[in-house]
Amino acid sequence: MSIIKSTFENLEKVNSKALVTYTVAGDPNLDTSEKIISEIVSSGADIIEIGVPFSDPMSEGPVIQMAHERSLINKTSLIDILSLSKKLKKKFKTTPIVLMGYFNTFINSLNSTKSNHDINEDICSELKKNGVDGLIIVDLPYEESEAIFKKLSKFEIDLIRLISPTTNDLRINEIISNSSGFLYYVSLKGITGADIDSYDELKKRVQQIKNSSNIPVVVGFGIKDQETASNMSSFADGVVVGSAIVDMIGDFEKEEHKVILNKISKFVGDIKSSIQ
Amino acid sequence: MKDKDKYNFPDADGRYGDFGGKYVSETLMSALEQLETTYENLKDKEEFKNEITDDLNNFVGRPSPLYFAKRWTEKLSGAKIYLKREDLNHTGAHKINNTVGQVLLAKHMGKKRIIAETGAGQHGVATAAVAARHGLECIIFMGEEDIERQSPNVYRMKLLGADVCPVTSGTRTLKDAMNEAMRDWVSNVDDTHYIIGSVAGPHPYPKIVRDFNSIVGIELKEQSRELFGRFPDKIIACVGGGSNAMGIFYPFLKDNSVDLIGVEAGGSGIDTGKHAAPLSDGSIGVLHGMKTYLMQDNSGQILSTQSVSAGLDYPGVGPEHSYLKDSGRVEYDSATDEEALDSFHDLTKTEGIMPALETAHALAHAKKIAPNMEKDEIIVVNLSGRGDKDMANVAKVEGLTL
Repeated sequence: MSIIKSTFENLEKVNSKALVTYTVAGDPNLDTSEKIISEIVSSGADIIEIGVPFSDPMSEGPVIQMAHERSLINKTSLIDILSLSKKLKKKFKTTPIVLMGYFNTFINSLNSTKSNHDINEDICSELKKNGVDGLIIVDLPYEESEAIFKKLSKFEIDLIRLISPTTNDLRINEIISNSSGFLYYVSLKGITGADIDSYDELKKRVQQIKNSSNIPVVVGFGIKDQETASNMSSFADGVVVGSAIVDMIGDFEKEEHKVILNKISKFVGDIKSSIQ
Repeated sequence: MKDKDKYNFPDADGRYGDFGGKYVSETLMSALEQLETTYENLKDKEEFKNEITDDLNNFVGRPSPLYFAKRWTEKLSGAKIYLKREDLNHTGAHKINNTVGQVLLAKHMGKKRIIAETGAGQHGVATAAVAARHGLECIIFMGEEDIERQSPNVYRMKLLGADVCPVTSGTRTLKDAMNEAMRDWVSNVDDTHYIIGSVAGPHPYPKIVRDFNSIVGIELKEQSRELFGRFPDKIIACVGGGSNAMGIFYPFLKDNSVDLIGVEAGGSGIDTGKHAAPLSDGSIGVLHGMKTYLMQDNSGQILSTQSVSAGLDYPGVGPEHSYLKDSGRVEYDSATDEEALDSFHDLTKTEGIMPALETAHALAHAKKIAPNMEKDEIIVVNLSGRGDKDMANVAKVEGLTL
């Protein structure tokens, strides 16, 4: 069984929901990323999403865009991120690690000469070896990735797909049959960090997806505080918190690191307690 | 069957061989499907075709002339050089051929708001003009650096009623304007149509933009028959995203007697790495929804580009160009900033026609090859835009103040 699947099963047993956190690797640098993520896991996160920085993060709002830029000042590469993942996996054996990013960095930084501009078995094997349990590739719809899904499955790496408010029923069914791990429901039409306008509509959609699939549904984009997290977790299997944490990481330049780590830790703990 | 008869791209998946496709976030997939369905349903309908033809004739001023550059030809003393005068179009470039078509698609889809990215400002102006003509709200995303070097066009867009939104992220040029336009589109997808200005982006854009610009090549075929009784020997066009080139090349792809040459922005020179020539010196990757040749580092990060012309200052290229490069049907070369500026002056002084700096790259290539060709051979350069917008920039590059 994939570690992501068992995480959700264990949470269900204790009647709890998954807290998924997103931070960008290498923001502000790789060593600090390791500290931040370790703090986040110790404070209650169930699944860690590690953002792979890209020069052109088209789906991100200003907060996460800046994190990508900060990380790229140090030229953080996928190879660096895999060694971060390996270290984290050693420390937290049962916490799933999911890399989230844009297709180009996955096909052009490992074995790029051999990759044929695709995610091939060499890349899958590298990911697996370094503790990666799942991938979210923002700009890779299922039409472009049926073969990639199969390859990743062979290596027991989940390909987590996004479903958005504009995804029609036909597509939802296609997406469900081409994903594993969990489904990531994008709560709004927009970019990361924007505001959610209707919970009723959101609830209806998430329930509709849950009715047609056994894969857990996690809601992301627009979850900023205990209230939004608690609302979402009443109907979803988990929530993703990204911009709110990344925003605090943005202060590493000007505030004392310990203060920020404590802030992040408290925030993560609070969110976790609000989604129980 | 010969290869040329097989050319039928994009395929059903929006691919040109291995290139193209739809690499976008899930939120945009339905909008792309809607656009594709709308376009496929309308494109062969008489009423739609008539509407476009009417706009092209009476709003844009088509057909554009095929002009013999007599003095420049004599000066270069080789092949005859003809110019396809897209600079004479309303708003000053080929860009309007696409926007008059796409705005009609937007209206058919019931979209009330138009967004676009722009580099040199030509696409922004062409979009603002059609939005004004149809009474639609219009927002243009433009990199801060480009706003500086193309200020006359910024003011034109504003006069036409558009909001010009400065983009301060990344390299502050065309690629970042496109990122920002994509972000806006994701956020306002229900009521907004994104008019992409080049044969770039996710399917169906490369196809739609090519088709709307093909009027240039279609006219050229007819004009060549009339004027020369045959097709030209070579057709040259500049390539940034590649819409003017695709527009003039596409109708000739199956005519193997015609050499097609795309000219990229060589910046300070290909060997300096400071350029915007992904086909000459790039590698395959995925950006802005398409698989294509890109300028990128060995971690898959997109590199910043350099060109004197804002309209060619883009790290990617339309996927069909990537296919045509690999298939060998089109030859791609580059011209440096210096060569482009030199041809900019040449044409202005010799023919009384001031070309856009983008176009000057194609002219620079003509200048290189014409002297080595026979006097009865014919080169057609797609004179894709006029250079009025570049005057301040040229003056600045040459150390003058206006």
